[in-house]
Amino acid sequence: MSSNTGPASLPHRTVSSIRAGAHSTAAPGPPQTPARPITSTLGSPSTSSRVDDDPIVIELGSRKLRIGFAGDAAPKRVVTFSPDQQRRTGDFRAWEPDFASQWRCRASGKPWGADHELWRLDIRGQDLAVVGDKLERELRDAFFNCLTRYLLIDAKPRKATLVLPPTLPIPLLSSTLDTIFHHFHAPTISLLSSPVMTAFAAGTRSGLIVDLGWHETTVTAVYEYREVQSRRTVRAGKLLVEETYEFLLRAVRGQPATVRAEKIEDRLQDEALSFEECEEVATRMLWCKRAPRQPYRRTADEGLPTVHEHEEEVEEVPPAEDHSPMTITLNSCCSHVFGLKRRIFDEVSILAEERGWDTVRGKGAEQYKTNPKFQRDNAGQAGNGGMPIIVQSNTTSSDGEATEAPVKAADVPQEVDGVEDHIKRERNYKPPVQGLLRAIDSLGPWCGGSLATQMKVPALATIDREIWGQQGVNGATRPSEVDIKSGQRQSMGPSGLIRGQAAQPSNWTLGVWGTLF
Amino acid sequence: MASFTPYTYIQCPCYDSTVRGWTADDASPTISHELSEDDDDHAFDPRAPRSTFSLYPLEYLLYCDVCHQIRCPRCVSEELVTIYCPNCLFEVGSSSLKTEGNRCFQCPICIGPLAVQAFESPPESALLSSDNASTPIPSGPWVLTCSYCHWNSSEIGIKFDKPQGIFAQLQKLRYGEDQSKHIVSGDTSPAKPDSIPDTNKARFAALKSFYGSQTQKNKPTIMREADSINEGFRLINLDESSAISQLRRDGWDGTVTSAQTKTQVEEGARFADQLWPIPYLLRTKRSKRCPVCRHIISKPEPKVSNTRWRIRLAANNNAIPSISIKPLNPPPGSGSGLLKPRRPAQFLLTFKNPLFDDVKVTLATPATTPGRFASRVTVLCPEFHIDANPDNDMYLDDVLKDGERERQRQRGDEGIHQAEAGKIWERGRNWVSIVVEVVPASLRIEPSPSLPSKGDPELDLGPLREDEDILEIPMFVRLEWESEPSHDQVGATTSKDKDAREKRELAYWCAIGIGRISQD
Repeated sequence: MSSNTGPASLPHRTVSSIRAGAHSTAAPGPPQTPARPITSTLGSPSTSSRVDDDPIVIELGSRKLRIGFAGDAAPKRVVTFSPDQQRRTGDFRAWEPDFASQWRCRASGKPWGADHELWRLDIRGQDLAVVGDKLERELRDAFFNCLTRYLLIDAKPRKATLVLPPTLPIPLLSSTLDTIFHHFHAPTISLLSSPVMTAFAAGTRSGLIVDLGWHETTVTAVYEYREVQSRRTVRAGKLLVEETYEFLLRAVRGQPATVRAEKIEDRLQDEALSFEECEEVATRMLWCKRAPRQPYRRTADEGLPTVHEHEEEVEEVPPAEDHSPMTITLNSCCSHVFGLKRRIFDEVSILAEERGWDTVRGKGAEQYKTNPKFQRDNAGQAGNGGMPIIVQSNTTSSDGEATEAPVKAADVPQEVDGVEDHIKRERNYKPPVQGLLRAIDSLGPWCGGSLATQMKVPALATIDREIWGQQGVNGATRPSEVDIKSGQRQSMGPSGLIRGQAAQPSNWTLGVWGTLF
Repeated sequence: MASFTPYTYIQCPCYDSTVRGWTADDASPTISHELSEDDDDHAFDPRAPRSTFSLYPLEYLLYCDVCHQIRCPRCVSEELVTIYCPNCLFEVGSSSLKTEGNRCFQCPICIGPLAVQAFESPPESALLSSDNASTPIPSGPWVLTCSYCHWNSSEIGIKFDKPQGIFAQLQKLRYGEDQSKHIVSGDTSPAKPDSIPDTNKARFAALKSFYGSQTQKNKPTIMREADSINEGFRLINLDESSAISQLRRDGWDGTVTSAQTKTQVEEGARFADQLWPIPYLLRTKRSKRCPVCRHIISKPEPKVSNTRWRIRLAANNNAIPSISIKPLNPPPGSGSGLLKPRRPAQFLLTFKNPLFDDVKVTLATPATTPGRFASRVTVLCPEFHIDANPDNDMYLDDVLKDGERERQRQRGDEGIHQAEAGKIWERGRNWVSIVVEVVPASLRIEPSPSLPSKGDPELDLGPLREDEDILEIPMFVRLEWESEPSHDQVGATTSKDKDAREKRELAYWCAIGIGRISQD
């Protein structure tokens, strides 16, 4: 995540300015998002290289694969990786009557539930070619068996858009790209970041994206369509299923809470449960009790003990930018746990109430704040707009109405400028919601990717098949180098189609996914 | 343990050409070149996780007779010939795919086929009435019913006005009116505030038109965020207490199994009453082309009901000899059928030549099978000729001869006939049997020094994995034959004499499953 943590006060390109192309003039606008003109040499992506057929949008997760056409509201196929798909062709033993009862012999010798994953994030000792093979089989199946439901797929290769989690290791990314280029002959692959797409599909430009995944829960702060900061925790679906296993095993054995952390071999004992059974329970039966302390409401329910795991999940939430609508997107099996969204939202609300949006805590910070000597400087900075305005946010009801907390004198909004207001009203400008903690529903990263691809939003990175074939992953340069050369800052990425026209085919990036060297 | 049938899997040669990219231990991608060179020296390991994806039974493989190469399902390019519904075998035109949708539906509970029935009449009488033309035609609301588990669509509150056009009616019930026509114009005009139903599809359409309106104005404006339902914006309903109470009320049976969720069109169903009928996944008939020379190597009859092929260059008919395996001296009473560890056993491999030319076969196996349990393998006759596949009119003659030979063998030579190194066991008109001797390894997992460890410092002492008890022999097969020069390659053969016979060769790895080793 080294690439795009530029200071937030710098101007960013907006989607509108990207699309507006050469005829856009330097329009006066609100200070947050000035529209920037694009010179005609770089071209407008909206008009050039328009392809008739829809690109394919693929969202990759470690458990699931969503695939469909750009512009569709839902993926055509959602693939869940399972051991059944990893059998040899022509192995029909799954249909034998006693197949299901023999899961112990099948599961032995592998990490628990490993067959259900496309990859592990720990890539040491992992044969990445297997990842490619697994992916290839599923994609082929999806291409030829499933997408034909509504649309004719011909042999013609199509452009592909990959929606990827922000913290995907480069080897995995490389393996994925290899597979798609090699087997499906996609002319280009665009990379999009999953949290950004989640925000996009929620209709917002900034927010805190909480993504409960399989291996990891990532909390990503997105500001103006850029990942600003991303924090991760292993308190995610996998841990939840493992907790469910412990819980069920204790129930089966009639034990109270005993020593846990059993070895894998122990998980194959006679009374032990299979991964599938545990996951089934985890997806079907779990629900989350409410936060012990409620921001405004106070009720207490009894929940399963397994959901305690989520309690601390939100404590690592990084402070967002100066305005922070929170979007919670939920991806994996554990995401649909009832009450979990509310729990997370409540916890964040409590944290925000208690600590505000200031990361700096502790004695020194307190002294600094209370010391009158420093006060003036502080206020002056805030008045200059250099520092984000700290707005205490709180909610009054679940539908998101808010009362603004009392603010400092320096933060009092400016006097109303009648003329500018008029201009803004003419342009249907509405000020962005700020300082309000809202939980916004998102259609999910796949839908965001589908939307963005159809709207021809430049991706974070676009990789050309031939260049990839020549250079492989080693050819990727740092995004910053490309940025400097093209002299732009990006919100959705400068590379994309622009780079295709620029005579610098050697400079391509993997976007936020980094470089090798 | 289920009975074991010997099998042969063949690795498509396209495996080697795949880009390896990154490998396991090292973070450096430069190693990939060395590895792919290494690959030729290394014996193929059928147990490696990658092998799963490159091994195919012989029947799945095709053969391009222009490139003279095996083509597996992974390395052909496919084209659609026919799209049809697997339930009613109705051929769906590619143009009507989008407009008309599916005709048949599956039960969301048990995936049985659903039938349209009148809602009022009980199912039994409805069945009768459909048989009897004289009874009055049932009218009124219609439902989809499953005849297997007796689910019907009224359980999720779906009734249809007419028994035709179920797909369109279902779409309408689920997504409301067609949202693509609904354009949220601009921002200030909340023309129909409640017009957007609470479905993902509608929200997606609203969001799309919102972004469209934001970006496609002729004068540059500042793009703003969506903030109303008409623009696809929605706050999460954080109060899920009703769902929790439903979970408590309905319990385990009220929730959706993961298998049921997977078959659903949309994600997110949790309770049984959120399951919708599944439109049948349409099937296709596809023709296959060689990716290199673009020749069609498989083409089905376009009619759905016709299961024949117009062109099918199957590998087992055009190049690859089939291998059948049987024990040389089947144990009397056949016992458990398992191989005894450390006890030599002999197997008969019969190669049958499909070609009309003599074929020279060269076999190679590693001395021990790869993997943790190294069984010894000896091919007694690794090099032999198989005669050509006889023409059809000579077939009868051939059978008679074979029968003669069989009788001879049964009569006298049984005791004398013994497996000898370097000699084939038996030869027929277009087949040859050879003997393979195996010494199965013991399946005991213990760090014994006697095990031939191949420089592998850390012994894997994990429990027995799935199928690790199967004795599987990787075998490299090389075929050489001379045949008529192919007519297609005009350019390639001009330099040669027309009458000259062209030399061909084909080499591939295969994995031969001999039997299970008993665990004691």
